[in-house]
Parts: sequence; C-alpha cells; structure tokens
Amino acid sequence: MQIQLNQLMPIPLQDKLRQRSSDIWNQDVTFQPGSLVKIKAPSGTGKTTLIHYLYHIRYDYTGKVQVNGQPWQSYNKNEIAAMRQRDISIVFQDLRLFEQLSARENISLKRVMEPKPYYPAEKIDEMAARLNVSHILEQSGKTLSYGERQRIAIIRALVQPFQWLLMDEPFSHLDEENTQRAAALIADECKARNAGFILTDLDNDQHFPYDVHYHL
Amino acid sequence: MRPFFELLKKIIQTGVGKTRFLMAAVGLGIAMLLILIAIQAHSNFSQLLYSSRNQNETADFLVINKTITNAMMGQSAKSIFTPEEIATIKKQPFVQSFGLVTSSQYKVVVQAPGDLHFATDMFFEAVPDSFLDVKGQDWKWSEGDRTIPIILPNDFLNLYNFGFSLSQDLPQISQETVKALPLQVNISNNQVSDQYMGHIVGFSDRISSFLVPASFMAWANEKYGMTTAAGTSRVIIKTPDPSNPDLVKFLEDNGYTTNQDKLKFSKTRLIVQTIVSVVGFFGLILLFFALLVFSMFIQLVIASCKREIQLLVILGTAPKQLQRYLLRQFVPLYIVIGILSLLLVAGLQYWAARELAQHEMLVSTWPGVPVFAGIALVLGLVYIVNLLTVRKYVNNI
Repeated sequence: MQIQLNQLMPIPLQDKLRQRSSDIWNQDVTFQPGSLVKIKAPSGTGKTTLIHYLYHIRYDYTGKVQVNGQPWQSYNKNEIAAMRQRDISIVFQDLRLFEQLSARENISLKRVMEPKPYYPAEKIDEMAARLNVSHILEQSGKTLSYGERQRIAIIRALVQPFQWLLMDEPFSHLDEENTQRAAALIADECKARNAGFILTDLDNDQHFPYDVHYHL
Repeated sequence: MRPFFELLKKIIQTGVGKTRFLMAAVGLGIAMLLILIAIQAHSNFSQLLYSSRNQNETADFLVINKTITNAMMGQSAKSIFTPEEIATIKKQPFVQSFGLVTSSQYKVVVQAPGDLHFATDMFFEAVPDSFLDVKGQDWKWSEGDRTIPIILPNDFLNLYNFGFSLSQDLPQISQETVKALPLQVNISNNQVSDQYMGHIVGFSDRISSFLVPASFMAWANEKYGMTTAAGTSRVIIKTPDPSNPDLVKFLEDNGYTTNQDKLKFSKTRLIVQTIVSVVGFFGLILLFFALLVFSMFIQLVIASCKREIQLLVILGTAPKQLQRYLLRQFVPLYIVIGILSLLLVAGLQYWAARELAQHEMLVSTWPGVPVFAGIALVLGLVYIVNLLTVRKYVNNI
C-alpha cells in the first residue's frame, strides 16, 4: 500500500508553517511500502495533526493524502474501516484505550474486530510477556499507569494485520529498557508482515534502522 | 463475530432507559395483538358469511320495488322503473344477474273444481326461469297448451292453512293436495273470456307472487292485453351477499325496498366491521407510538455512547458491524413479541372456534394466512424502522 502526500497543508497552521521549511508540509512526498520512516518534529509543528491526516480522522487540510492512488475522501466509511482492520494500524499519542475494558479486552478488541483474527488469542500473552505487562492484563483500563497504557496500546496495534503502522511518540511514557523491548517487538512484527511504519518523535533516536528521515 | 460483539456489549451500554424500552416492547405486543385480532376477526367473519360450510346457498335473490308512499298513492306510474333506473340497477357490482317481473295485463279468475265453491280474482306474474327456486318438468308452457303451470308463494298456503282455514273451520290442505287440485282459470279482457286448466307445480319461498311461465305470460299479454305494456314495477336480482352494506345503501338512496329480513344481517355486519376496524386502528396507532419510542431509544443509546462509538470507528469498526450489533440487541425481542402474540391469537381463535361451533357457526381452529402475513408485515416494518434509525445515527457519528 502506497501513501502519497500532495501539497498537504493543515489549514489552522498554515500561516505559521509557511514561514519555515519542511520536508513534508506543502511538498509532494511518497512513502514506499515497507519502508521505515522517521519524522522528527519539534513541538507545535503538527506532528499529531499529520498522523491524524494519514489515518484520516482529521480533514482540515489543503492538498491531498492519497492511499493506493486515491484520495482518502474517495473511500466510503465501510471501506475505510476495512483498511483500518487490515492495512493500517496506529498507536495514538493519547493512547485511546477503553477505560471500561480490561487491558486484555482492549487488545482483543482489535484482534477480533476482523471476523478472521490474524493472531490466536495466546499471542496477546506472548507480547505482554515481552513488554513486561503480563501482570496487568486483567486490570481495567482505568487503573493503568501511562507507561502501562502505552505498552497495551502498542500491543493492540500489533495484533492486527497491517502494511503500515503509524506511531505518534510511541515511547513517550517508557523508560529506556521498556523502550528497547517495545521497539524490538515492533521491528519483529513489521518484519513478519513486510510492513513499513511512520514514526513521529521530538528527537533523534537509534531505536530502529530507519530507511528515511524527514524533518517536519 | 461473536467475541467482538461480546466486547461491544461492554462498551455500548444498551441499559440506559431500559424501562422505556420494555414499555415500548409491551406497547408493541399489545399493538400487534390488536392488529392480529382485527385481521383474524375479519377473516372469521368472512368465513361465516361466505364459506360454503356455513351456508347452503351462497347467493340470494331479492325482489325489489319502489316504496309506496302516501304521495304516490293513486299514481301507479310512479312505482314503475324507468329504463334508466333499470340500467342503473343492472350496473351495480353486487347484482349478479337481473330479471324483470312481468305482470299480467288481463283479468284472472281462479275457481276450485267441483262443489268447493271457491273462486277468486287473481293476477299472474312471470320471472325468467333462472330466478326460480322451483324446478320441475311440469314448469313449461307452449302455445296451444290448455294447462297453465302455476307456482304459488309458500306464504300463501301458510296463510290459508294457519290463518284462514282455522278461523273459518275449513280443512287444512297439504302441498300435495294443492298440487293435485285441477283449477279452473278464466282469463278475460273486456271482449273475450277463455277457460284454461291451472296446475300448481310448486311453492316458492323466494318470490311472493303467483307465477306462470314467462312464455305463457308473453303470449297471454299479447292476446288478452288490455293496456299497452304497463312497464315494470318489480325487478328481481341475484346477489352474492344480501348483507352487503353497499346494496342496502343503494336501495335506501333510491327509495327502493325489498324483503327487509334478508337485509337485517347487514346492520350487524356493519357494526362488527366498525368494531373490528376501530380495534385495528387503535392497533396501528399503538404500533406507531411503539415505533416512535423504539427509534428514540436507539437514538438515546447511540447518543449516550457517542464517544465510545467514535473511538470504535476510529479503531476500524465498520458502521455495518455497529448496525448489526445494535440490531441484534433489539430484533430478538421483537421476534419473541411476534411469537407471543401469535400464540395468544392462536389460543383466542381456538377458543372462539369452539364457542362458535356450539352455535353451528364454523370457523377454522387456527389463525389464517392473513394473521401470519400481518405478523410478517408488522415485524418487517419494525425491523425497517429500526434499521433506518440505527443507520442514520451511526452514520452521523
């Protein structure tokens, strides 16, 4: 699956962004399938906005976001849902877990959303063990710490099939050791699917062997 | 799909306003029951009216004439049907076949034979043979025959046997005896008078008149007629359903009259129909409100879980999946309501059939096809309204 940006510009940040140069905004950019993309961005330059545009949950932009050669707007709601179940996965900066579900249920939700799950249920325990969250799987989303929530959100994004994984500061609440573990799991899962990812962060890092670096 | 729906159940709380939902469900049940009862009552009634099991003869014959009012007295022309009026009667949908009652235009005197010393002035009428309830080989006349077959009204013999003969101390006469009596019939106009033999061939319950074959009537009117054709003041119709309110209304509107007894059932039928319609109407109103409450309930559920549903959609839940999940929460209840109302109606019908059977009124023991069609229709309507509501509000999120 190819993702292409044509002269993309967020309307609310327009004036601010025109005064500085960017590798992404107002440019023509193509993300090649399977590539590991790092987008480095200082605060307030529209990092989360970009991720939301790529995932098509915000629409206040000029220019185009094209998926497989078609702008997002040309897909209907059910088609978009199917793509979110099979082709694009996401780790939100604000994590977005259901507080009324347990950690395991939050993860299961994405596993069983598709009628034929990509992974068996045991995979959840396996991944939870790798990220040191096995002991909190049965706790309700409400009682989890931010670090725990972030790891649950990462696992949730990894139990579904995808060609692209979008991550918005995925390690912001993790210590160095847990970051390494999470990064290794993500790398393994992307490799298993031949999938690429787009990761945004504030700083440079060495967590992945990135193919492309962009400066937002 | 199941495990996903299990999780959705924890996210989308359908518990809000549960009482309201249950009330609406009870409302739907009552509405469905009323509608089904109305349908079943209607079909029972039709069965009683039209089914061959309840009637020996489906069609009925009515002799129609104009009502004689005080204003019309002495002007016999006013009681005659004009050709336009006859054409109008023929055109009515409830008229299966139509015939004129032809009256004699000559004088008739009938004498009993021998020394019975009985003689009376009389008249004859004729109707087309297809309207007669007396069939027989004797019922024919061709030119040259000296014997005229005659049909008497049954009432006439009854009047004699149970009224006249008892009061006058005369012997009662059986139908067979009357048929065996050779009558002397004098037919005359102002110039000629001829004698014929009269032979009673039968007694009619249907037409209250002294009937002779149409062929004789035509010939005799030609030969002895004193006036030019007098016109028709009585007509006979065959109708499949004498209780048809349209028929009664037509007669009333035109100032016509007939044997009122045959029409009496019409009033009962009108009352029953009105009651059934009112019941059905209330059922429909109730159904409408139940649908309204269901729609509002669905709207409430979706509105109260708006954030959760938004997140589900963001995570990739298809609107189709949400619709299916939401409908699955409600539809089974509707089906249960449908089955319960069907069972209740079936019970009622069984009971009604047994009660009616004691009065020799036969209706089927089980609810008919219309009831099943009614259930399917109501459930279909409820489903469609639910589907549209769910679709509308899910897509609006």
